[in-house]
Amino acid sequence: MRRLFGHIFMALSGLVLALPIIVVAGASLNGGRTMLFPPEDPNFARFVEFFITETIWVRALQNSLIVAFGSATLAVLLAWPLAYLLWAKGSKASKVLAGLGSLPFALPPIVFGVGLGFLWAFIGSLGAIWVGIVSHATLFLALPLVTISIGLQSIDRAHLDAAATMGATEAVTFRTVILPQTLPYSISGFFFALVLSFNEFIVMFFVSASAYATVTLQIFNSLRNGYTPTMAVAAVLFITVSIAVFSAVARWGDLPRLMGADQSRN
Amino acid sequence: MTAVDSTKAEMTAPVPQMRRPWGTWALGALILFLAVTPFILVIVISFGQKIEGAGWEWDFTLANYQRFFVGALWPDEVTFLHLQRLYYALYYAVIASVLAVATAFPFTYLLTRQSRRAQSCWLVFILASLSLSEVFIVMGWDVLLSNRSGLPMLFEVSGATDWLKRTGWFDVLREWGLANPRNVKFKTSEFATILTMSYLVWPYAVILLYPALSRLDPSLTEAARTMGASPTKVMTSVILPTVKLPLIGSTLLLFVFLLGSYVTVVVFAEPAKQTTAVAVYESVRGATLDAPFGAAQAVVLLVTAALFLVLAQYLTKRSEAR
Repeated sequence: MRRLFGHIFMALSGLVLALPIIVVAGASLNGGRTMLFPPEDPNFARFVEFFITETIWVRALQNSLIVAFGSATLAVLLAWPLAYLLWAKGSKASKVLAGLGSLPFALPPIVFGVGLGFLWAFIGSLGAIWVGIVSHATLFLALPLVTISIGLQSIDRAHLDAAATMGATEAVTFRTVILPQTLPYSISGFFFALVLSFNEFIVMFFVSASAYATVTLQIFNSLRNGYTPTMAVAAVLFITVSIAVFSAVARWGDLPRLMGADQSRN
Repeated sequence: MTAVDSTKAEMTAPVPQMRRPWGTWALGALILFLAVTPFILVIVISFGQKIEGAGWEWDFTLANYQRFFVGALWPDEVTFLHLQRLYYALYYAVIASVLAVATAFPFTYLLTRQSRRAQSCWLVFILASLSLSEVFIVMGWDVLLSNRSGLPMLFEVSGATDWLKRTGWFDVLREWGLANPRNVKFKTSEFATILTMSYLVWPYAVILLYPALSRLDPSLTEAARTMGASPTKVMTSVILPTVKLPLIGSTLLLFVFLLGSYVTVVVFAEPAKQTTAVAVYESVRGATLDAPFGAAQAVVLLVTAALFLVLAQYLTKRSEAR
């Protein structure tokens, strides 16, 4: 009885969680240009519009992809030495640095966005696309930092000792022991940053200065004119990408462990 | 997910000394530049001054803060408009974060009792909805709550509206601002704002509670059960005390996260009940174009957020120390 009640509660939570997503996905099938649910005259015309015919959406999607891939790569590249420093030395300075690096993620993004807007305006490159990439990389630096740190901690000390005993140099140990064992964690961190960058918009709003638009920005800009089913197509795309990415992380990595589950119990 | 976890890497690994200290310095400088200067700039500019019709200039004036706390015309006239916005930001965030944690807690507890595989599936779904942009979530709830479709329509068609009218609840709803003369309405209302905010952080609540709950030793609860404690007793005397600190810590983190939420408030809150985050946006990029005042409001938001973050950090540390 209790068990059944638990199952019902979980199913209900899942349903509420899925509700707006289902509604948006349904609305994306609308044949007309009004956001109706259930959809009227369902077909895939809006999908064609979003991916092929309407240039503002095609360009926005390109920008989103460039910023997401660029910033996720940069975030991993920045997080790696920092996580390594933290793990290898564990000095006070490296901890402070890691804490400062996580500040943008922890504090309200609107404040960081306003600050970045000022910073890039001083440098004179507000509105350049590389600025968007660097901004997102900083915002999401905390994510690969955490996953790579978890990966480094999971390395068996015996392997390092064995490598040292057999006379491996630091570089060799790094290449043959540390790098392979932390690769899944680096990739997870990359994907976390990628997906969040793809979906982020408030920081992007301040640093893009309306010079270009990502998909989320484009949707936000059209907010006042009301929603159209074409925007719902974007939502469907985004949720599909997220599910695909996290499924991949779960398939090839240890998702419960990344989320901090206990290792001793399986 | 914070870098707090990474501080566990305290045990020093048998790795030789770094041979390139300049690389470390460069990395440190780069991270400081990117992650810290924006906040410093916001703080510095908050003391600046607006130039009418142009932009702003460096200065050291407390006028922006005065305007925030007591109004621009102080001491002749005192207005608390901006403080009121901060109040609404806190108000929405408190209720929404408590609501999210209260419902996510039993869910996460049940989740951690599932098989590893089932947990992975749920986690994929939860992470996907966690990363879904605020604009999409607002879009979904907007369709669900708007007057022409979604829930109000369902109320009308199913006869629930008539039932409410017959039983007299309709007048109560009208008093709460959740109905117009003809039917129930959810936009714009505190209800819609808090519901959407709560939905927004619910997956975060699960992810934050997950480590603490999955490390909960099952033998503890089993022991209590064999000794004849009722499930309710086990919950209140074994489980809740062990996870009390993570519970409070997560609520604080979610609260901080919600302080800055923007789209939800713009779409769902009544015009008179907007928050500081919206005001920051209006000042910096919106109609008024008063960057220093926007920065001052951002600083107030920042300080509020930082206070609660420090508190959350302290609680997390304490729970880890045990």
